[in-house]
Amino acid sequence: MIIYLVFLFILLALMVGAAIFSIIQKDLLYAVIGTGVISLILSVLFFLLQAPDVALTEAAIGVALTTIIFIITIRNTVRFEDEHDRKEAGESKKFINN
Amino acid sequence: MVNTILTIAMAIILLSIAISMIRFLIGKTSVDRVIAFDIMTVSSIALIAVLAKMTGRIIYLDIALVYGLLSFLAVIIIAKYLEKSL
Repeated sequence: MIIYLVFLFILLALMVGAAIFSIIQKDLLYAVIGTGVISLILSVLFFLLQAPDVALTEAAIGVALTTIIFIITIRNTVRFEDEHDRKEAGESKKFINN
Repeated sequence: MVNTILTIAMAIILLSIAISMIRFLIGKTSVDRVIAFDIMTVSSIALIAVLAKMTGRIIYLDIALVYGLLSFLAVIIIAKYLEKSL
């Protein structure tokens, strides 16, 4: 039974990593994908804790609906917070067209 | 015996999720991060299927079904945004 606690703590550590990434990221698209990863792992955690109905709702709303609405918002506004971040990202991603 | 094998399978799936998370955190381009997100989704579906087999309730597989459909939609929307055709 102790092995399931170890699995639970590994998933929690991965979720904290994704949350820190999502907070410190300046590119808003990556931050939105980070929130998608958070709700994905959270859904598996709900499933491990014997709450499959909550996991189903979290998967439907967190992974799909929130991500899609935020992406449409980024499409209608801007992807980077200020001009300096945009230039920095443009230099490091010169070889790919976005 | 079956429980031992399924536990080892869960450990391997968790390892694959952790490796994809490393790629997600250090990934240089947008495509790296989107593909890492997709791989994490597929691994989570496999994890849920193994858990459904372990608990012995087939109704839990419905969650994996909904999960697969919706995450597919999210990845398609991100890909259309990167292609600038949303």
